[in-house]
Amino acid sequence: MLRIFMLWLLAGLPLHAWALHVTATTASMGLLAREIGGETVRVTVLAPSDRDPHALQARPSMMRALRDADLVVAVGAELEAGWMPAAIGNAGNPNILPGRIGYFEAAAQVPLLEAGQPADRARGDVHPMGNPHIHLDPQRMIRVAHALAERLARMRPNQGEAFRARAEGFERTVSARMPHWRARAEHSPGAVLHHKDGLYLMTWLGRPVLGYLEPVPGVPPTAAHLERLASTLQGHHGVVLRAPYQPARSAEFLARRLGWEVRVVPMEPPSAGRVTDYLGLIDAWVDALASAGR
Amino acid sequence: MPRLKLISTAVALLCAFPFSVQAASEADFERLRAEFERRLSTLQNQYETRLKEMETRLARAEGEAAAQRAPVAHRSDRLGELSSGDAFNPRISVILDGVYYNDNKRGKGMDNYAHIDGITHAHGHDGHGHAAIERGFNLRETEIAFSSTVSPYFDAHLYLAVDSGGGVKLEQAYFDTRALPAGLKLRGGKFFSGIGYLNEKHPHEWDFVDQNLPYRTLLGEHGLNDVGLQLTWRPRNGRWHTLLGTEFMQGREHHFVTGGMELPHDVEGIGHGEMAPGKAGPRLITGFAKFAPDLGENHALQFGLSHAHGRQLQEVHDHRAEDPAAKVHGLQGTGALWGADLVYKFDAPSAYGVGDFTLAAEYLWQRKDLAVAYHQTNAAVIGAPRKYTQDGAYVQGVYGFAPHWQLGLRYDVTGLTNQLDRGTSVREWGKSERWSIALTRHLTEHSRIRLQGSTANLWGDGNKARVNQVFLQYQHSLGSHGAHKF
Repeated sequence: MLRIFMLWLLAGLPLHAWALHVTATTASMGLLAREIGGETVRVTVLAPSDRDPHALQARPSMMRALRDADLVVAVGAELEAGWMPAAIGNAGNPNILPGRIGYFEAAAQVPLLEAGQPADRARGDVHPMGNPHIHLDPQRMIRVAHALAERLARMRPNQGEAFRARAEGFERTVSARMPHWRARAEHSPGAVLHHKDGLYLMTWLGRPVLGYLEPVPGVPPTAAHLERLASTLQGHHGVVLRAPYQPARSAEFLARRLGWEVRVVPMEPPSAGRVTDYLGLIDAWVDALASAGR
Repeated sequence: MPRLKLISTAVALLCAFPFSVQAASEADFERLRAEFERRLSTLQNQYETRLKEMETRLARAEGEAAAQRAPVAHRSDRLGELSSGDAFNPRISVILDGVYYNDNKRGKGMDNYAHIDGITHAHGHDGHGHAAIERGFNLRETEIAFSSTVSPYFDAHLYLAVDSGGGVKLEQAYFDTRALPAGLKLRGGKFFSGIGYLNEKHPHEWDFVDQNLPYRTLLGEHGLNDVGLQLTWRPRNGRWHTLLGTEFMQGREHHFVTGGMELPHDVEGIGHGEMAPGKAGPRLITGFAKFAPDLGENHALQFGLSHAHGRQLQEVHDHRAEDPAAKVHGLQGTGALWGADLVYKFDAPSAYGVGDFTLAAEYLWQRKDLAVAYHQTNAAVIGAPRKYTQDGAYVQGVYGFAPHWQLGLRYDVTGLTNQLDRGTSVREWGKSERWSIALTRHLTEHSRIRLQGSTANLWGDGNKARVNQVFLQYQHSLGSHGAHKF
């Protein structure tokens, strides 16, 4: 019995001690951690991928995951402001507090769109430090992947080269698909989005965002705003895109008025996703954009 | 070099001019030289500025070229977070809270609430004079909160409550440790106790306008708040989230803990027995535990158990003002509170809180284990037991039925058991209960309007009264508003 226990200790302990427990806030951050960390990391994702990451509440299961985490991979720029500070502050884990090496924020690694807007809540739920929804931008995701590799290398120096190589691999896979996405979306007349979450992808593809269903970020669509949108866009071509969790009614109302289509597109890859799921996510958006007739 | 040329010219000029004009020429020479030197230094300055400009331009161009050549080759990662809250240090937030109120008692409904029959009403401890709510427009307490990290080791928080008359009350002022290992955290200062589920929550986090009946009658309208230390521990234990905590508090002026109560001056030195001096703090010791299984993405559940022990409880009963025949007597002993709570939350996969559901329920039981320590006239009762017991519970549910709309329903009751056991006889009080319904519209995360109606059967001075109330409330949150706990 004792011998078996010793064997278990010898066989199990090093592996166990070596695994880095990564807690990611969203599925796309979990995907990055899994891709870059490889076998070295065990990833837990806090926000279910079918849910609005703005609107979650801090839950005991989050604090449990954060209690045991070596590294937190967050989107940041206040995307998770409604729940992450409470969860991280009550997790009893000093190593993952913002500013420590165990806290990684993707938005801090790349320049942000819409940065420097006035902190005026008359404009809705604005983020003065910039739009936090960077995960749909393949170029920025590549930069975040490299930064994450550096962070992991700081935590496990002897595996630094492996992390960097995997970040290179991620870059190669995603870059290889970029020309296809650009070409496919090239003739799209643009889209109406529910929230400013698709802005980065549209900007990267060079396709216009024709409008937002939300009158100001974080405020549900109103009849007057939809009416105004419909009259402005009358005669234009385009498509209305919404995430599964965003309300269907307002999207369908506008599409009906304009004779457009509503396409439901995922906002995040599946919770246990890999790089192919990320390609699939962008594929879905690009397909939806391309579907809009001229 | 130019200076040499200047001097030689000047010498030549000197030779050529007659002696009589020598004085004037000397002045001219000085003027010329000054002019020359001024121009020279201007020229030098201009040159240097241009050179610097060119250097910076070159450096910038080089940097840009490097960035373009290798947009992802910056081999670094940035620590820290992007946050607009950092724009101000400390973070400041303000909550504005106002209600329009009406009731069926011509404005006296709140008096019925202040005098609910129970084990604590007996000595009128509750009469702390904060602004009563009138029929019509009312500004409730404005909450001002400051918080900041003060060092790698501590966070600090300050909460002030300002009433409509401008009176300021220090609600909380405490520090939290940041760096203790093994899931430990120490809190010190003045703070809300961690017992129960709602006790730590501020009024703007409540789903209803007013405090529930068990808290109001057993802990006080604002909950259990005192000065002391709190130690919490979050052990690593697999898929359950566990929180264990204990507090050592001073124990001043609570329903079940007091120390150093004094007899009225006019009975000092007469009568039988005496009140013991106040014990040194901590007089209030609490323990609490919370357990939460991981139920996946849609469900969250938490059970909690709480206990608070009052090492000293003293009461002076002086009813001579109401009844001239009454005699002053003093009781002392200990107090205890037990509580159990349960919270369930369902998180629906839709935006703006549609389909989200929260159920919270709590049960509190309080015992005051006292004996007569002083009596103005009767020596025989000294040492006679006075065992007070009261309990209460609430159940409340909140459901998001449309984008940013919530409907809440609450049942609360106090005095399921409500009695004084004198050993030889038992005195009982009635059970007060209430139903409330609240409709909340969240305009954004930072603004909300709430309409609440409630109907209650309240026992007061042995009479039962039906009190119906209606509130229309607004709440606005300014500044950096922190995330809410579970």
